[in-house]
Amino acid sequence: MSVALTRRSLIAGLGCACCAGFAVDAQARIPPRSMKPLVGAGHRPEDKDEQGLWQQYERVEEEIAGSNLLLKDPALITYLRDLGEKVGGPAARDLRVYLAHVPEFNAFMAPTGFMVVFSGLLLRMRDEAQLAGVIAHEAGHFLRRHQIRMWRDMKRKTAALNFLAMGAGVGGAAGGFYAGDLIQLAQFGTILSLFAYSRELEAEADAMGIVQVSEAGYAPTAMPETWQQLIAETEASAAFRRKRARRGYSLLATHPAPEQRMIDLRASAAELTSARTVDRGRERYLRAIGPHRKTFLDDQVKLNDPGASLFLINTLARDGWNGLLHYYEAEVWRLRGRRGDDAAAANAYAAAIAFPDAPPEAWRAHGYALLRSGRREEGRAALGRYLALAPTAPDAAMVRHTLSQ
Amino acid sequence: MRRGLLVLFTASTLALGGCVQTKQIADVQFAPPQGDYSLIVMRPDVTVGLVTAGGMIEPRADWTEQARTNLLRALADQQADRGGRTRILETRDGVQGVSAETVAELERLHQAVGNSIALHKYLGVTLPTKRRQGVDWTLGEDAVRFGRATGMDYALFLHAQDSFASSGRIALQVLGIAGCFIGFCAPQSGGGQSAYASLVDLRTGEVVWFNVLQTGSLAPGVGFGDIRTPEGAAQMVERLLGRMKAGRLVRERE
Repeated sequence: MSVALTRRSLIAGLGCACCAGFAVDAQARIPPRSMKPLVGAGHRPEDKDEQGLWQQYERVEEEIAGSNLLLKDPALITYLRDLGEKVGGPAARDLRVYLAHVPEFNAFMAPTGFMVVFSGLLLRMRDEAQLAGVIAHEAGHFLRRHQIRMWRDMKRKTAALNFLAMGAGVGGAAGGFYAGDLIQLAQFGTILSLFAYSRELEAEADAMGIVQVSEAGYAPTAMPETWQQLIAETEASAAFRRKRARRGYSLLATHPAPEQRMIDLRASAAELTSARTVDRGRERYLRAIGPHRKTFLDDQVKLNDPGASLFLINTLARDGWNGLLHYYEAEVWRLRGRRGDDAAAANAYAAAIAFPDAPPEAWRAHGYALLRSGRREEGRAALGRYLALAPTAPDAAMVRHTLSQ
Repeated sequence: MRRGLLVLFTASTLALGGCVQTKQIADVQFAPPQGDYSLIVMRPDVTVGLVTAGGMIEPRADWTEQARTNLLRALADQQADRGGRTRILETRDGVQGVSAETVAELERLHQAVGNSIALHKYLGVTLPTKRRQGVDWTLGEDAVRFGRATGMDYALFLHAQDSFASSGRIALQVLGIAGCFIGFCAPQSGGGQSAYASLVDLRTGEVVWFNVLQTGSLAPGVGFGDIRTPEGAAQMVERLLGRMKAGRLVRERE
């Protein structure tokens, strides 16, 4: 941006930015009860711009549906889809859910009604209520027609900017003053305003989502809890790297800051909490993700983000430690490999095998840890247990060789 | 004097700003297919949209459908004139014995290879190893297997975009040029086409010929074809595929 701003052009520019309806201040909380769905069941686009958008996204969906990144477990997909039906309001039967095998906390909604959920999201959810909250947020984007509204907002603002710039340029040339600074300011104002609108829509989706979650009989408090958890994870990750976590708020952010979302969702949850018994659905959730939790944990510990991984494991362990969680805790230490980490890993492997659900690999790791510390017989017994549990493991021959010595 | 220069500049902008460009490259050994050959046209990727006043392109479903239909018809007509047997794949599951998944993978592979060709042969990031070698890329065994399964000699991949200025955009274009006469020259782009065609020899898997077409104009209301109409579609097909040049070594031998 040019530094040669005169006070007059600055004031003129800001004046224009304001009169064009630009607001760049922080987003106020949207009362959840004020959110009404803008689509009915079986919504189809009627306007030309929305039809065009849908046609593009139908191609995108075809690509995604055929992607080899998808995790194709029919039972789990049906479960996710059923959840979408529970919190999807009038669009309940129109939502499609795809599960992408990507170890990140994310999900997105397409304007045509399909949603992509990342596997890293499922790892972080402690129960069905939390997951329903995320799905309801995404469904909220569809219910409130966010993509087409965003597109129309962009169309309107870029057109206004272009006409303004052209008018200022031509007027400036005719009247003999330089309008370049003014145009740049207006450009900047437009950009800020587009991001502000995106944040407003995210806040809408949160508000719309929490109503749906609460009406479906889930605890609305699960939604702010997800954000609380995510903020703490970001901080834990940064702390391990001796960095400071980003505050997350910026004029150029597409989403409101996590803190702000958490605070607003807390207030909204308080408005919606009723005397009815609410559901968390932890058992149902664990049954649905079944053996995938191991895969998701495995993906996570390989991200080389020990702060986040340990935080996640400890978070999941708030519902009770088990062999799986101890095993992956040990793996985080082993993979980090700083001084003293091997001892921490050995302790965690030992803790893992005390649980009946310890994965076979926990016995192998425990066995080698014992051998290294000179406890030969116990170590051999643990390795024997590994072979008994996983006789066809790819490294079985190597372990047998160790035992033969 | 200053005014005279501006008018000159305006005139030259209008003259240079509107044009049709194609640039084709071929495998050095490439001879354009003639006589009895068979060609499969992979599902063309077509988008037609409206240029908004802000300069964004808004896709239009009805125009896109029209253009796709017209382009496919124009392609079939043109290839028939050359003596080739053309088969058009409108959906991924349109080939017997080849799964939609396999077709999708071949399309994605071609997209990656096509991007690489565009980057290194058109966008200026030249590779020292590919200098003076024409188009030297291959889809490998996957394409050969696809050729065997379909019994086809060539596959054609086609991508086409066309756009038309909205009335708001045209107003801005007019203002931008009118401004030139008083010293504020801001010509705005209107609609335009961009397309590419890529020919793959299914017997070797190699990309043997590649062509890129670009049309556009800064003058309001001026366009170079409209693929929503049968004539405009035939014109684009002709510009893209009409004059296939042989590869360098083949030309040198002749």
